[in-house]
Amino acid sequence: MKTLMLRLEPVIWLLFGAGIMLGTLLLPGYLLTVGIGGPLGAFAADALSYDRLHAMATHPIGGILFRLVLLGLVALPLWKGAHHLRALSVDFDGHHRDGVVGSLLYAIATVGSLLGIYAVFFRL
Amino acid sequence: MSVPANPKAMAPHRPGRTRTAPPMRPDGFPSAPRYRTYLLFDATGLTYLLAGFAVLAVAWSLGSGPEAWARALETLRSPIAIAFHVLVLVSAIFVGVRFFRLFPKAQPARIGPAKPPPRPVIHAMLYVAWAGITLALVAVLGGFLP
Repeated sequence: MKTLMLRLEPVIWLLFGAGIMLGTLLLPGYLLTVGIGGPLGAFAADALSYDRLHAMATHPIGGILFRLVLLGLVALPLWKGAHHLRALSVDFDGHHRDGVVGSLLYAIATVGSLLGIYAVFFRL
Repeated sequence: MSVPANPKAMAPHRPGRTRTAPPMRPDGFPSAPRYRTYLLFDATGLTYLLAGFAVLAVAWSLGSGPEAWARALETLRSPIAIAFHVLVLVSAIFVGVRFFRLFPKAQPARIGPAKPPPRPVIHAMLYVAWAGITLALVAVLGGFLP
């Protein structure tokens, strides 16, 4: 498993790098609206309505960008999170359990990303 | 005074030809401020991982129809959900400020004949992009743009 992770390291680092850069660029806008502002009533009542968001997601041109951003908000933080938690584990626990911890965290990120692709491109 | 770290920490997967000193845990780890900040940066991984699954649940609800979406909005209004999103926002700002300070230092001196812009310019560009993307998302998702 450790050997497989070493082979996949370029891919893992690509996803981790995208997670820390693009994930961080995207998250505040999402959190300020869907996570905090919308629930607290800071925006128009229909801003987060089903009809409006579903229309945006299924728009022939803008819908692709909407779905890509949504997928980025699902998958990229997962990879940033998985890789940094693995690093935290190594900092405190050394490498002797890294194969198990790393594999588990990347498996969680992989499953979440695949579910994200399904949710965004096949269910919307 | 340094103390021995976990003897397997940072050990190569196979013994190398070059003998190396046993790894030592640095002084002040993990309580010294610079280690604390570094570990906090790593610990944001937990909030990011949970945030990814939270957005997945939102996307899943949107694909499940109006009733599921109404239930999702109701969940998002709970104090726990709002507190969680505030925590993720604080994490994202912490990661952004720290990572954007590091990013210009990690650029290559040259890419072919081109030199990257000066570090302060790269730093400023990252903040402009961050503010621009955030404003665009707030404008679209907040209903300010059609």
